[in-house]
Amino acid sequence: MGFFVLRALQRSRTPLSRLLSPQNPTFQSRWITSTTDLHKPEASAAAASEAPRPEIPPPRTPVGGARVHISSPEDAIEVFVDGYPVKIPKGMTVLQACEVAGVDIPRFCYHSRLSIAGNCRMCLVEVEKSPKPVASCAMPALPGMKIKTNTPVAKKAREGVMEFLLMNHPLDCPICDQGGECDLQDQSMAFGSDRGRFTEMKRSVVDKNLGPLVKTVMTRCIQCTRCVRFATEVAGVQDLGMLGRGSGEEIGTYVEKLMTSELSGNVIDICPVGALTSKPFAFKARNWEMKGTETIDVTDAVGSNIRVDSRGPEVMRVVPRLNEDINEEWISDKTRFFYDGLKRQRLNDPMIRGPDGRFKSVSWRDALAVVAEVMHQVKPEEIVGIAGQLSDAESMIALKDFLNKMGSNNVLCEGNGIHPHADLRSNFLLNTNIGGLERADVFLLVGSQPRIEAPMVNARIRKTVRATHAKVAYIGPPTDLNYDHQHLGEGPQTLLEIAEGRHPFCSTLLSAKNPAIIIGAGIFERNDRDAIFAAVETIAKHSKAIRPDWNGFNVLLLNAAQAAALDLGLIPESKNCIGSAKFLYLMGADDVNLEGVSNDAFVLYQGHHGDRSVYRANIIFPSSAFTEKEGTYENTEGCAQQTVPAVPTVGDARDDWKIVRALSEVAGSCLPYDSLAAIRARIRAVAPNLLSTDEREPATVSADVKPEFQYNMSMSGFKSAVENFYMTDSISRASKIMAQCSASLLKK
Amino acid sequence: MSFIARAIKVPPNSATLEEARSRTFDFFRKACRSIPNVIEIYNLYDVVTPSQLRSSIASQIRKNSHINNPKVIDMLLFKGMEELGNIVEHAKQRHHIIGQYVVGHGGLVQEVDTKDQGNSEFLKQFYTSNYF
Amino acid sequence: MASVVKGVVKAIREKGIRNFFNVLIEDGYANCLLDGNLLQTKIHSIGGKLVGVDQFGNKYYEKIENTQYGRHRWVEYGDKSRYNASQVPPEWHGWLHFITDHTGDELLMLKPKRYGVAHKQNYSGAGDEYIYHSKGHALNPGQRDWTRYQPWQPTKT
Repeated sequence: MGFFVLRALQRSRTPLSRLLSPQNPTFQSRWITSTTDLHKPEASAAAASEAPRPEIPPPRTPVGGARVHISSPEDAIEVFVDGYPVKIPKGMTVLQACEVAGVDIPRFCYHSRLSIAGNCRMCLVEVEKSPKPVASCAMPALPGMKIKTNTPVAKKAREGVMEFLLMNHPLDCPICDQGGECDLQDQSMAFGSDRGRFTEMKRSVVDKNLGPLVKTVMTRCIQCTRCVRFATEVAGVQDLGMLGRGSGEEIGTYVEKLMTSELSGNVIDICPVGALTSKPFAFKARNWEMKGTETIDVTDAVGSNIRVDSRGPEVMRVVPRLNEDINEEWISDKTRFFYDGLKRQRLNDPMIRGPDGRFKSVSWRDALAVVAEVMHQVKPEEIVGIAGQLSDAESMIALKDFLNKMGSNNVLCEGNGIHPHADLRSNFLLNTNIGGLERADVFLLVGSQPRIEAPMVNARIRKTVRATHAKVAYIGPPTDLNYDHQHLGEGPQTLLEIAEGRHPFCSTLLSAKNPAIIIGAGIFERNDRDAIFAAVETIAKHSKAIRPDWNGFNVLLLNAAQAAALDLGLIPESKNCIGSAKFLYLMGADDVNLEGVSNDAFVLYQGHHGDRSVYRANIIFPSSAFTEKEGTYENTEGCAQQTVPAVPTVGDARDDWKIVRALSEVAGSCLPYDSLAAIRARIRAVAPNLLSTDEREPATVSADVKPEFQYNMSMSGFKSAVENFYMTDSISRASKIMAQCSASLLKK
Repeated sequence: MSFIARAIKVPPNSATLEEARSRTFDFFRKACRSIPNVIEIYNLYDVVTPSQLRSSIASQIRKNSHINNPKVIDMLLFKGMEELGNIVEHAKQRHHIIGQYVVGHGGLVQEVDTKDQGNSEFLKQFYTSNYF
Repeated sequence: MASVVKGVVKAIREKGIRNFFNVLIEDGYANCLLDGNLLQTKIHSIGGKLVGVDQFGNKYYEKIENTQYGRHRWVEYGDKSRYNASQVPPEWHGWLHFITDHTGDELLMLKPKRYGVAHKQNYSGAGDEYIYHSKGHALNPGQRDWTRYQPWQPTKT
């Protein structure tokens, strides 16, 4: 016992004696900086001479797995970060060089996808032979530069900057939605001082109204101008700006107006403090109590990578996930804010419409039995299956197999038109790839309005236009694209003129190195789609858009299910199958025109929302939404991705493919798969590319096999495929936030 | 009401199966008599009817109908008595009663298994839940 | 005492004997027969100065002279049968408890227009409907719905 006491005393002796010694600097009155020695040059000099050189730690790995591609060896320069040599390409900034060396520099205004502002001064580092600390985000790295990120000068500079930033920043953290994921919070903990000298009043700034999506608490703003740069550079709206100077500086819309961009939600993510937060998410949850599920988005055909944050059975918010090839790190407002539709208008019980026209809940057993009986009463060719725009590949192949077993071959996917062509993959995919669009120098948009059909593709085109001054020409109804473009015409007439070489735009197209032609999927619904495709193919041939090294022939799809449906061959046998159908299997199909369905037809609606088609349905099967199931979706560039269940299903709902599988057994023609793995094995036989997730299978170039150019085109102009950007599917139509958006932002 | 339950004492042993049987019936009667009181103190008026609770008790007793050892029956009766005492003394909460005696273990809807014969394992699981 | 008799005689003369008795019953003198508390208040009120009457009919009296300190302000509740201290609205509370010398009528000017809620007395023990049950309680009529989604309601089409 005594031995231990002795040991403890021995151990504590050193700090005790140090504490009690009068020369101890910690007992003197401390000034703001925590590195007290700085105020006494002789003391620091003595410390420098006394203290042995700190042992050099082993080299660190680059921040965030950053990689450098040095195109040619003479472009590489060498700089020293904290004593380590790093090879970087010419033109990189000091901050990027530090990242490559594995040193994370604190920053607020710097964002890798936006232009450099250099106004927050948080990224100050010491550079040898430089009289002052330099802002590393704005300083290009020069050969042989000796950068020091951890010296007293750099630390003191950061502490000073942090003190200034916090001077006017309210102490709101407990009631701030950014709390827990706030850059200012984290960095003041990591780099800030432990006290401030602040005694005056904090300034306050009037909040701005940016619309129903973005909540502003402008007093919290630290004027990093990330949002201003995002709005002008990426979103392409000149709504936000900087007003005033000095302590009167404010971010705001110059006049009282809402932010009318389909990407406005991204300012929430890039705001380093809680000045711009999500309005629907305000005060709903804290970021540490939510479970993040990395999944993909199904509101459009782009398949943006998202993270669904859920708490218990509720989806609380949706935030983007980095994917350089698809959505970079942005997502559209519809993707970000339509999640509240997942909680409204949900189908939770199987229901049968009684003779009085009212629905009543029944058990799965009874519901399946009724459907099986009806299916055996109709003729096999009168059975029609329609997959909805949110269907996953697994359920679509199950539906197709099931109906084929029942003797029908009429399975289609809504949005693909009545007679789609699935033989050539290049005829329905974005062959250039979204990332590849950055290499194009001339764009020709045919009946496609990417800004509302696929905002992420539009952001890519805008990025290209900004970076390389690529030319954009557009054929279709008048629309507002947020970059310079030439509006050539409204209909196939213009297309014909270009195809025949009579149009002035032809010369631009011919001189282009990498022309990209983008056809909107709205054309699938036209009767003369073959003729239009033939015309576009002629243009592509003339302008040499399809070469072994460049495929500029693109189709921009509208829905998440379209590409997979075509890959799986969901093609109806007869053209007017819907009209002659006696049994209609709607698997989430809400946008299909049901007016032609005969009155005695039996309509089965299987879906997750009580949307348009339930009002015609005779029986309802509740199924799970995309946040509740594991499913494969193929995006418009032919890249298969999988969703991951984030929340449990509601009520008595089941996964789509399970319902089809169960129904097939009750109906007496049992499907041979019982599990997701077995159904994927079946998909492997049909479309193996759907299983290689996150890989793009290039379509074989075979425009030559197509029949020749025909002139039986109708001259009616192209119509916009999407009427209301905020409401395109059953989930977003059920969403209150989306309803608010379309009410306030689409005001004419 | 609690003093009644407390007054119920189970003598140490039943000599014969007959005696155990009559004790079981006594226990059932006692439990049935306490039902109105239980419904009152746990506010179960909207949830359950006395006859449902009676059949719930009966089914719990029938579950052990195969036992013919008087000692085991005595032990089970003692446990039942203890449970009844706890319930009547309000030692439980409302959701305990609902969970154990109203909803029961198999859920509100008692599926009869005869219809599922010949179905595959998949379909049987499909009828019960989405997760398997 | 003489003043009281004088006042009674004067009132009878003005109103007539029938109206006088009606007023007596309205003012709760009938209740005084059974309720000594009220009777004492009435006796205490003789010679007191009526400072104000609030929206609930509570009368606030003050008498500085010949009163024990601390008993020089009092209230006669408007509700003669069931009265308790929570019937005093907040604007009068301060005056009554010697927190302030401003009367409730003066303090009513300070009441916030937008968010000032109306005063409500405490109904504890006044019956089942007034008992507070927390949100998830089985006896709360508006029992909270724990379902996190809103199901689609089939409507006749």
